[in-house]
Amino acid sequence: MSSFSRSAQQWATFARSWFLIDARMQPPGKIATMCAIRLQGKHKPIYHALSDCGDHVVIINSKEIAFSGNKWEQKVYSSHTGYPGGFKQVTAAQLHQKDPKAIVKLAVYGMLPKNLQRRTMMQRLHIFADDVLPDDIKANLTEELPQPREVPRKLSEYTQEEIEAFPRLWTPPEDYKMK
Amino acid sequence: MAARSMLKSMLTSFNSLKLCSNTLNAINLQNVTGPLVSILAVQSRGIRQGKILDTPPAPEPPNPAAKCPIYRWNLQHKYNYTDVLLLSQFIRSDGGMLPRRITGLCFEEHRKIAVCVQMAHRAGLLPDHRPKLPEGHVPSTKRPRPKLNRYLTHWSINSVKPIYKKGLKWKKKPMHVGHRLLLDNVCYGVKPLYIKH
Repeated sequence: MSSFSRSAQQWATFARSWFLIDARMQPPGKIATMCAIRLQGKHKPIYHALSDCGDHVVIINSKEIAFSGNKWEQKVYSSHTGYPGGFKQVTAAQLHQKDPKAIVKLAVYGMLPKNLQRRTMMQRLHIFADDVLPDDIKANLTEELPQPREVPRKLSEYTQEEIEAFPRLWTPPEDYKMK
Repeated sequence: MAARSMLKSMLTSFNSLKLCSNTLNAINLQNVTGPLVSILAVQSRGIRQGKILDTPPAPEPPNPAAKCPIYRWNLQHKYNYTDVLLLSQFIRSDGGMLPRRITGLCFEEHRKIAVCVQMAHRAGLLPDHRPKLPEGHVPSTKRPRPKLNRYLTHWSINSVKPIYKKGLKWKKKPMHVGHRLLLDNVCYGVKPLYIKH
């Protein structure tokens, strides 16, 4: 804001803000791109890789993420413990059941730049499986980001007027026993 | 039934009244219509108030010459699994598709709608069109099925195997999202629809 004093403008430019994202019915990849951009600070015109200008991001309802396609059954998360015979492969559904925060965390981790600052950026990411937030984080939140995917409406959520306003595309024959 | 019989009786009584009035022109009708009025009072229940409702005329399809209902309304390449109001017109109450010879859809559109209905069911957008379970059916508590949110699911949930080996860069095993039949849909954004993730 150009109406601020110099010190206030300085503070507003370089302050670290806290963003909130609701991950209900959202694909984890799209949530992760939004988080990665803000954790690095790439949404700011003053960005520089060395200037530590990233913000905090809080993700809520991570247990309600929605994968497109059959990724719950097909997507496999692999890891190796380092010991022989320690190669583990887990499907996304199994991993989500074990830890509902892990999918989003791994997605964001893979999207951040692979340097030493990645760990500090991950410390600034706060994921919650449901929408219960501790009070100190709630006090810090500044902005809520819009959800990337438009959640479709169920048939039970349409009002009777809307259902009737939609025209009938075909008329059934008189002698057909409907449904 | 009762109304019809009552109406019949009213009609016959009216007819009898007309015949009587023709013969009784000279006589003071007021004296004569006493018993007739009383008879009518016994038979009639008064005139019921009826309303003629103005139903708005059903909207005309923009292309009435076409055979398939989707082509009649120019909806080809424009619908998706989210258009539940459209899809619900072609399904039974237990979620199955209606036969093509009844709905009048052409073969390609029938297949596309079937695919969209499948995807809508798997996304949970048609919660009231579930198949009827037999009475006394108790869902098993041994292995509770996890309730996972999903959308644009191509394959049936139990039929898909995990991709343990994704393959090399030039020959990866893709995870299919959406359906090949819906690739022709109108895309208003810059990025084209991609099916193989």
